[in-house]
Amino acid sequence: MTKSVVSGKKGLTGSKVKKKALHITTTVARLVFLISISYIVIYPLLYMVLTSFTQETAFYSSRRIWIPDSLTTSYYLLIVEIIEYFKALASTLKYEIVAALIEVCSCAVAAYGFSRFNFKLKKLCTAMLFLTILIPTAMIIIPLAINYAHLDFVGILGLFNKLTGIDLRPTIINTPWSFWLPSLFGMGLRSGIMIYIYMQFFKGLPGEFEEAAYVDGAGPLRTFLQIIIPSSSVVILTVSVFSIIWHWNDYQMSTMFMNQDLPLSVSLLNLPEHLGIFGYHISDFDPRAISLMMAACVLFVLPVLVFYLIIQHWFIESVDRVGITG
Amino acid sequence: MKKKHTKGIEARKSRYGFMFVLPWLIGFVLFFFIPIIQSLVYSLSTVQVTGNGIATEFVGLEHYSYLIDRDPEYLKMLRTSVISFAYKLPLILVVSIVLSLVLNQKFKGRVFFRGLFFLPVIIATGVVMELVFKTIDSSSTALGVSDSITSNMFSIESIMESLDLPTQIATYIQTAVSSIFDLIWECGIQIILFIAGLQSIPASIYEASKVEGATKWEEFWFITFPQLGRITLLVAIFTMLEIFADNQNELMSSSYIKMSGGIYDESSAMLWMYFAIVAVIMGILVALYSKFLLKKWE
Repeated sequence: MTKSVVSGKKGLTGSKVKKKALHITTTVARLVFLISISYIVIYPLLYMVLTSFTQETAFYSSRRIWIPDSLTTSYYLLIVEIIEYFKALASTLKYEIVAALIEVCSCAVAAYGFSRFNFKLKKLCTAMLFLTILIPTAMIIIPLAINYAHLDFVGILGLFNKLTGIDLRPTIINTPWSFWLPSLFGMGLRSGIMIYIYMQFFKGLPGEFEEAAYVDGAGPLRTFLQIIIPSSSVVILTVSVFSIIWHWNDYQMSTMFMNQDLPLSVSLLNLPEHLGIFGYHISDFDPRAISLMMAACVLFVLPVLVFYLIIQHWFIESVDRVGITG
Repeated sequence: MKKKHTKGIEARKSRYGFMFVLPWLIGFVLFFFIPIIQSLVYSLSTVQVTGNGIATEFVGLEHYSYLIDRDPEYLKMLRTSVISFAYKLPLILVVSIVLSLVLNQKFKGRVFFRGLFFLPVIIATGVVMELVFKTIDSSSTALGVSDSITSNMFSIESIMESLDLPTQIATYIQTAVSSIFDLIWECGIQIILFIAGLQSIPASIYEASKVEGATKWEEFWFITFPQLGRITLLVAIFTMLEIFADNQNELMSSSYIKMSGGIYDESSAMLWMYFAIVAVIMGILVALYSKFLLKKWE
C-alpha cells in the first residue's frame, strides 16, 4: 500500500497507481497461496527427517516443537542392517533402473514409427496402444508371473515337454529378464504413456529434417539415430525422469516376479512386519519403531532426491518445451 | 513415371514405419494380449499351481457369483473403491489445474516453487508417503503425546473446539483438511502434464483476446480451458488409473494378498469385476466429455 502511495507522489496517473496496487495484491496473494501449499508439500518430508533423528526419550519431552532435544543417528545404522540397504539398493538398480533405461529407448523407437510414418493397420495399432494405457498392469500381472515361471510363448517348448517329458522352458522369475524383456519390447511399466508423450513431441518436429536426410541417402534407422534423437533431448529427459521414478517406486512387478533379492520398494512395504521380527512393534506405537521406519523412508527417498536435485533445472525447463497437447 | 517413383517412396516409408513399430507389436501380443486373455480365462476357471506350470478347469461364472452372493467383504470394498473415484477425480483435476495455472505465470521464484511442487512426483508414487502419513496420524493420536509435532504447529482439533461446531461438521472439516495433504501429494504428475499443455497454447491467441479486451476470467473459460480439452482428458484417464491401482485401495491390496498366496482364479475375478465397473464409468464419462465439450471446442 505504501509503495503505491509513494509511486503516486512521483506523478503517476491514477490508473497507473491502481494497476500497481492490483499487481502488488496479486503478487502477495499468489505468494501466500504458494507458501501455504509449500507447507503441505514440505511438512511430511520434514516430519520424516526429524523423526528419524529423534531419540526415544525426546519423543515425550514437552519442550519439543520442531527440533528434538537430543538427536541420534543410531536408527540409521540399525535400519541399514535390518533392511540390508545396500543389497536392496543394488537390486533396485539392477532390476528396475536398467529396465527403466531400456524402456526409454524402446518406447522412443515405437513412438517414432507411430508418429512419423503411415503404414497399413496404423489405426488399429494406435487403438491397441490406447488399450495398453487404459488397462492397468494389475490386470495382467498374474498371467505374466505364471508365464515367466515357464517361459514358452508360442507353445512349442510346452508341446515338446508333453511329448518327451524334457522341460526346456527356461524360468525367468528371479532373474533380471522378467523386467528387461518386456521393457525391450516397449511393453514394460506404463510404457503406453511414455510412447504417447514421445509421439506428441515427434509429431511437432518439422518434416524437413527427415526429407533432407533421405535426399542425402540416409536410411530410416540412421535418420532416427542421427537426426531425430539429437533434437529430442527435451522429451528424452522428461520420459527418463518419469520412467526412473515409476520404476523406483514400483512394487507390483517386484512382488510378483521375485521372491529373493527384493528391491528397496518391497523391503519398505514389508517393513512394519519385518520390524516386528526384530522386536520393534509399530502397532504398539513404539517410538523407536516409528523412528526406524522414518529412517528407512529417508534412505529410500534419498537417491532419487539427489538425482532430482541434479537434473531439476533441466527437467523444469523441459516440461515447458515438451509440447504435450493431449 | 514420376508418380510411380513417389509411390515407391511411400510404400518404402510405410514399410519402414512398420519396422519401427514391429518390436512393440510383438511385445503387445506376448506381454499384453495373451496375458489379458489368460487372466480372463483364469477368472472363469479354477487354477491350480503344479510343478509343471498351472492346471485350469473351466467353471464358468462361479467365482463371480461367489464374490457377489457369498463374499461378505467384496461388495463393501467395491463400493468404497467406486465412491473414492467420485470424489477424488474431480478434486485432483481442479487442484492440479489451479496449481498449474499459478505455476505457469511469470513471477520471481517460479523456478523454486516449481522445483518444490514437482517433489511429490519424485516421492509420492510409492509406498513412502503411505507409511509417512500413517505414522503421522498414529503418532499424534495414539502416542498420547500432546506435544507432538502436529499439535504444536497447527491443530485443527483445537480450532474446532474453540469454534464450538456440531461434532459431525467438525469431523467432516477435520477429514477434509487432512485429506488435503493426500490430495496435493497425488497431483504431481497431473501438474506437470497441465503445465506442458499450457505451454503449448500459442501466445497469439492470448494477444488477440487482450486486444479484444477480455478479462482474465473470460480468458480462462474461452481460451485456456478449451485449449486444454484434450490434455484434461489424458490427465483424467491417467488419474483414474492411478486411483484404480492405488495401494491404499482395499480391494486392490486384498487381491494382491490373494495373488501372493497363489489364489489366482479368485483374485482375477475380483480384479475383472472391479475393472469392468470402472471401465463402464470411465467410458460414459469420456463419451459425455468428448460429445458435449470437445466437439464444441474443436
